[in-house]
Order: sequence, then C-alpha cells, then structure tokens
Amino acid sequence: MVKSNQVILQVTDLRKVYGDKPAVDGISFDVKKGEIFGILGPNGAGKTTTLEMIETLREIDGGTATIDGIDVAKHPYTIRGMIGVQPQTPGFQDKTKLTELIQMFAAAYGEKVDPKKFLDEVNLGEKADAYVESLSGGQRQRFSIVAALVHNPKVFFLDEPTTGLDPQARRNLWKLIEEVRDRGISVILTTHYMDEAEVLCDRIAIMDRGKIIKLDTPQNLIKDLLQRGFTKEQKVEQANLEDVFIDLTGKGLRT
Amino acid sequence: MTLRQKLYTVWAFFTVNIKRLFRDRLALFFTFLFPLIFLFVFGGLNSGNNDVSFNVAIINESKAPFAQQFADQLGKQKTFKVDKEIKTFSAANQKMSRGELDATIELPANFGAIKPDVTYPSGQAVVHYTQNNQSAAQTLTTVLQAELQAINTKLTHSQTPLTVTQKQNNQRSLSSFDYTFTGLLGFAILGAGIFGPINVFPELKKMGILRRLHTTPLRVWQYFLSVMLGNAVSGLLSIGVMFVVAMSVFHLKVVGNFVELALFLAFSVIMILGIGLAIGGWAKNERQAAPLANIVVFPMMFLSGTFFPRFLMPHWLQNITGYMPLSPVIDGARMIATEGKHLVDIGPQLGIMAIWLVLVYAIAFRVFRWE
Repeated sequence: MVKSNQVILQVTDLRKVYGDKPAVDGISFDVKKGEIFGILGPNGAGKTTTLEMIETLREIDGGTATIDGIDVAKHPYTIRGMIGVQPQTPGFQDKTKLTELIQMFAAAYGEKVDPKKFLDEVNLGEKADAYVESLSGGQRQRFSIVAALVHNPKVFFLDEPTTGLDPQARRNLWKLIEEVRDRGISVILTTHYMDEAEVLCDRIAIMDRGKIIKLDTPQNLIKDLLQRGFTKEQKVEQANLEDVFIDLTGKGLRT
Repeated sequence: MTLRQKLYTVWAFFTVNIKRLFRDRLALFFTFLFPLIFLFVFGGLNSGNNDVSFNVAIINESKAPFAQQFADQLGKQKTFKVDKEIKTFSAANQKMSRGELDATIELPANFGAIKPDVTYPSGQAVVHYTQNNQSAAQTLTTVLQAELQAINTKLTHSQTPLTVTQKQNNQRSLSSFDYTFTGLLGFAILGAGIFGPINVFPELKKMGILRRLHTTPLRVWQYFLSVMLGNAVSGLLSIGVMFVVAMSVFHLKVVGNFVELALFLAFSVIMILGIGLAIGGWAKNERQAAPLANIVVFPMMFLSGTFFPRFLMPHWLQNITGYMPLSPVIDGARMIATEGKHLVDIGPQLGIMAIWLVLVYAIAFRVFRWE
C-alpha cells in the first residue's frame, strides 16, 4: 500500500445552498495521498454535490477545498488539470475510435500521448480501432477510467462506478481502482454498495442530509458498532449467493 | 498551458471531428446531398427560363413535299418545342386544355400545293389555341408570319427594302439562376451553421459529453474554435460541390475570383455558425433549441433571399431585410461569383456581417452551458 500521511485534498466547512435548503451543510474531511476514500449515503445526502464542488463543476457557497494546497474556487483551471473525473454514466461521442478519444482527452489537457499504451493498461488494446459504441458496459467503464487518467492526475473521482455492472466486471473494476491507488493517485468514490466500500475503501465518510455523520476506516466503523452492543442475526452459512455465482461462472471478465 | 498547447487542443478536436463527419452517413447526407437536392429542384425549375419558347403540336394534313419540309424546319427551331407524339386534333386539344401545349399549328391538306399557273407553293397555316393562350398564339402567329415571309421572298424573288436584325451586346446580365443559386448557397450556410449545432449540442449534453469535457482544463473558446474550423471546412466542401454541379449542370458562370469567394464564404459560415452556437450552446435539450431556432431561421429563410430574391420585395422591406445576417451573405456571394466584384467592393456587406459576427459570438460565449 502506497498510503502515506501526506494530505492531498483538504475540505473545510464546505457548503452548498439551493434556495434556502442546504444541500451540503458545512462538511470537513481530508484525503491522503494514495488513499481510496469512500463517500456513502442515501440518495439526496449531498454526495454528488460535494464531488461536483471539488471538481469545479459547481460553485462553492461556503468553506474551502484545496488540492495539493491549491484553492479549488480560486484556480479552477489549474485544479482541472490535476484531477480526473469518472462520471456516473460515461458518455463518449460516437463514430470515434478509442485511440482518437484518448488523443482528444489528452489534448484537452494540452498533452500528446501514445493511446495504445493506455488502452493496453486496461486490456482494451485489441479494441483500439473500435468505436466506443461497440464496447460492453464493463469495457466502457474501464475505458472511461483510463480516459480520465491520461494526464496522470493527483486525485481521481468516481461517481458510483460499478452501478449496473455484472459481478465479474465489478471485481475487475475494483482491481483496477486499486491499481490506480497503488500508483499514488488518491481515489474518491461514491457508492451504494456496502460490500464495495468494505473491500475497496481505506476510509469512509457517511453522509446524511448534507452532513458527514461518521468518518473512519471500515474496520473501525464495524468495531465501533459491535462495541455498542449491536448483534446481527447469526448466520451459519460461510458463503453467500454472490460466492455461488462467482464459483459457478468464474472470475474471468466477460466482454 | 502554453498557447501552443492550447492551439494543439483545438487542432486535435478539429481533426477528430472532421474524421467523424466522414464516418457519419446521416451527417454526410445533410452536408453534401441535401443542398444538392435543393439545387436540382430549384435549378430545374429555372433552367431555360431565358429563352422564349412555345410548346406546340404540328398537324400536317398536306401531302406536298414543301409542307413536310416546312414542318421539319419548324421542329429544328429553338422557338418551337414540337410535341412529335401528337398526330390528331383530338389529342392536341386534350393537351391544350391541360395547358401542356400553347398552340397547335395546322398545315391543311392544300398547304404547299403548287397552283397550275405558278411555279411556287402556296397555302395558309392555321394556329389553333385555347382562350387562355391568346398572347402565346399571337406571338406564335407573328413568328410564323416572319418565317413564311422569308420563304415568300425567296420564292418570288421580290425585294425587301426594310428589314430588322438583332445583335447581342456582350454584357452579361444576371439570370434568374444566378439569384437562385446564391440563395441556395445561403440556405446551405444556414443549414450547416444553425441546424448542425442545434441538433448536435443538446445531444452532446444529454450524453454528458460536454459535462465531461468541462472537468478538463478545456476552455470554451478552444471548443468553439475547433467547431468553427470544422464547420468552415465541411461548409466550404459542401459549397464547393454545389458550385461544381451548378457550373457543370446548370451552366453557372463564375466570373469572380475563387480565392476571394472562398474567403468570403468561410467568413459567412463562421458568422452564421455563431447563431447556431448561441442557440445550441444555450439550450439544455432539443425542446429548447428547436423553437428558438425556428424563430431565428424562418425570417432569414424567407426575407434574406434564399428562395425569393430580395429585389422582388417592396423597397422599404428590402431596406430592412438588408440588415439581417444572411442577406449580406447572399448578396455578397452573388456580387463576387456572378458580378466579378472584389472583397473591397462589398464593404457594406462585410461591415454588416462583422457587426453580426461580434454580436452573435458575444451572446454565444455568454450563454454557453456545458450541461
């Protein structure tokens, strides 16, 4: 694990108000270099708004966010060059080859790259000359991730990256996200899947009604709950249905 | 980022989008074929408009060789379009009643017969016509009269002291096709500059493509510039095809300088594109874009001279419509292409276009939304 104590993203008292209703109500947290940081919470808790403010897509109404010491609100274009963003539903223009899209994304950052190298990284080398519309859901997610990393960002944001993927593609994506983290890139993701958060995230912030109500490692969060005397109905099975599914269909990624 | 890098961004977006255009059959159709269809329809309606000609049937009931010769001679003349299918009066009357024939020329049984006491043939042709075709029949009769008079002179060897002849001066006047063609150019520029962006941008927004670009350091001006270059290139190609067809099929004579013409048209495409960028860039979806585009496009379509030349309008209306964005485009293109004017001669047109250019791009930059 590359995780260090160097803080890369610092969020202090961040606020967003729609009308008179606070969507994000003064939240603070930090993310360290090479860490996978999860933001969990029910729909409408303010997860996406939080991400969008840090991504410079939405105006910050109060508080500050800094990435590597640079203020997000004051230097949006510098920040955009330092972050990679994987949207919830990655859309790409059609009738464009994967290599061309990689070139375009790199060009958006003013860089020239070898697209083949990036596509090989995510097992899409064979699809280099294919149009993006011929990709499967999982391939599209992998492509979207590599497209967001062409400029070697410091922080990588993913909004519900595995929604709608089959178990094989999900596992493959987890592996990929861990590889990104191992390159020293900080990953911030939102998810509704608790198993995903437990497997993937080094630390988790749980949000509700615009506030962070708990922030810790998954292990500590569980330990904390158990210490308060929580007991779950005991289950004797040592496997669940997903284990059965993976056992039957294998871990191999489908295209 | 250095300026060089920023321009590389523009170039990369431009090249990929041009490649994409040539892979998209629908886009190719609307870029290249669609304007050509209009060109063929309107060009076809206008072709031959300059020659006066009559659709006639010749019914020759005479057996005399002279009558046959005379009928053949009429068939060769530009003034007459002889319908060779028609042999009987009933067929001719039917066609005349439908307005497909202007008149029927009858050469009666005794036409061209040589009377016993003379050496030359004689007779009287009859022009039959319907109530609505009086003027055509009158002109036709006069023409026939002249034809016969010429023959008479030869046959009787009489003197004709007073005659008239015609002489064309070498000055070219604008044909109605010149107006039609430059109007269609304007229509093609409208299509490329406005209908393109208002369809493409809401689609890009719906798919989240612009939103994603928004997370990169890409600036609006870089994005606009790449779209401008792409439209200028595809627009000029499309217009180039129109010129080739107009010159080879419809005998359009371009007397102006092609380089000046291309520069002027590229400027026109970019100026009109600003309107499309403003509408498409502002609209969140197709439902916002379409009505606004119609409000902007329809007045230009009918008042700027795309389908009807502006000189047909009353004077006050010509003065007002001259200030619409597309009017100087159409006027300027016609002045360069068919009147041989130079860019320096069309200052007023360029001036109006420049004002619109600044205005529409100022609006486009202001109202652009990435999502």
